[in-house]
Amino acid sequence: MLKDHRELLVRFQSLIALALMVLALSLLSDTFLTPQNGWNILRQISVNLCLSLGMTLIILAGGIDLSVGAVLALSGAVAAGLLKTGVAVTPLEVQLQFTVFGAIVAGLLTGAAAGLFNGWVITQFRLPPFVATLGMFSIARGLTMLWTGGFPITGLGPDFGFLGTGVFLGIPMPVWISGVLVGALVVLTRRTRFGRYIYAVGGNERAALLTGLPVNRIKLGVYTLGGLLAGAAGLIVTARLDSAQPNAGLGYELDSIAAVVIGGTSLSGGRGSVVGTVLGCLIIGVLNNGLFLLDVSPFWQQVVKGFVILAAVAIDKMSSRET
Amino acid sequence: MWGRRRWITGTTVAAGTMVLLYFLPLFHVVPLEQARQRAAVAVYDPVEFVDWFWTEQLIPGAAEAIDAAELVATVQQDRQLARETHGRRVGLGGAYYFFVAGSGRIVSVDRYSVGLALCDDQQQIQVLLETGPIFGNAVRDGTGLLDVNDFANSQDFNALSAEINRRIEQQVLPDLRTGAAIGVTVRFVGCAEILDEGTDLSPLRIVPFLVEMP
Repeated sequence: MLKDHRELLVRFQSLIALALMVLALSLLSDTFLTPQNGWNILRQISVNLCLSLGMTLIILAGGIDLSVGAVLALSGAVAAGLLKTGVAVTPLEVQLQFTVFGAIVAGLLTGAAAGLFNGWVITQFRLPPFVATLGMFSIARGLTMLWTGGFPITGLGPDFGFLGTGVFLGIPMPVWISGVLVGALVVLTRRTRFGRYIYAVGGNERAALLTGLPVNRIKLGVYTLGGLLAGAAGLIVTARLDSAQPNAGLGYELDSIAAVVIGGTSLSGGRGSVVGTVLGCLIIGVLNNGLFLLDVSPFWQQVVKGFVILAAVAIDKMSSRET
Repeated sequence: MWGRRRWITGTTVAAGTMVLLYFLPLFHVVPLEQARQRAAVAVYDPVEFVDWFWTEQLIPGAAEAIDAAELVATVQQDRQLARETHGRRVGLGGAYYFFVAGSGRIVSVDRYSVGLALCDDQQQIQVLLETGPIFGNAVRDGTGLLDVNDFANSQDFNALSAEINRRIEQQVLPDLRTGAAIGVTVRFVGCAEILDEGTDLSPLRIVPFLVEMP
């Protein structure tokens, strides 16, 4: 009976933590539990949610990606640059003026290509994901600087801006985008063969290989998806600011890893869920928002966030030791 | 069987993509020369903009400035009231601005400023007209004639401030520096930038953009 209770507690730890935080902040701040603040939190977490969804798949498959923040910046910069200035094809004396749709596709493909490169390096050269994605981190930051010349690309127009600041059926566009992606990834991880393979590869890569699963292809797919989602996050950030900043996404990889871990996904792979990551993002978002409303210094916010991550990992370790 | 299914799927996806790209093209092809001309028109030139702003908005807008003597009197009575009634706040920071005009008698001259007493019977310096070098955004933000949202980015907006300050240093301040002598009366229009609550407002430091001396 006691064991049942403990299992229930472990299973719903993220949800319980979120509920307690919401309760505490509602009592401490008059403005916390208002519809406007609720939308505000959802809008704020949408970028981290996009990154964390990709990170969830990668960590579930036993990997890690330290390049998502840099890929976010690169994707946003590529989309903004193509939209603003296009590409000159000098030999043909023509210029390709990208449409908003074209810029979005280019941004997403840039992210996917960076992810594919990560997967290729990891599977072909057997490099640890930590090292391979650290390399991509540097490559993507450098490419972003080269592409932008170190200056922000601004004035992207209202049509592109709608992605980040628009509202459709009363719901902000970033929330729509991240919501649709959450739905798609829940289906992918729960209802498709590819999703089950991700868990199998992360749980025991050698066993997965011996049972004949195409481990390398699965890893390639997972890293490509991670890059694609980082690209989507880059588009949201760029559209929201109406500007592609060369330094966008600095430190975002850590926030996304934190959200995944707080959401109960095991850093050793094979265990966790997309819904858990959504809760992890919400916990971080509510924490940031609540501490801000309570006028807590941003420096203390960092300290508190660090302790929350440590607590989440400690609980995860304790629960996996018991099971 | 599998091969046929794959072929049908592939063909359907390709056809769908082509239809999508027909209605939602990724890009338009334009002659390079036309694109260059369009880009040249869109280039922002702060010097050109300030040329227009100076003659069309700033000088005519001087009529909107508050009287310096009135402001100084209010500041002496209640600094908070002066900020609320005559001050202009920009953004979320604590800085605020006064857009002022007036005339006074020169009572001090040093390397960086000219001190004025606004009343005949006053010997104390009530206003300091800065004589350079000029830094900050006093005139750009103090007049209320320019809005950051009208510019593509903050770089363009900052370039505007640099150009206004350069023009003040080159076109306004040389006359003030050479003509400044104790007892001379000066008529001025300019802006004061108050960076925080702790800034001393006595005397009021003003960046002038219009100076007239007999």
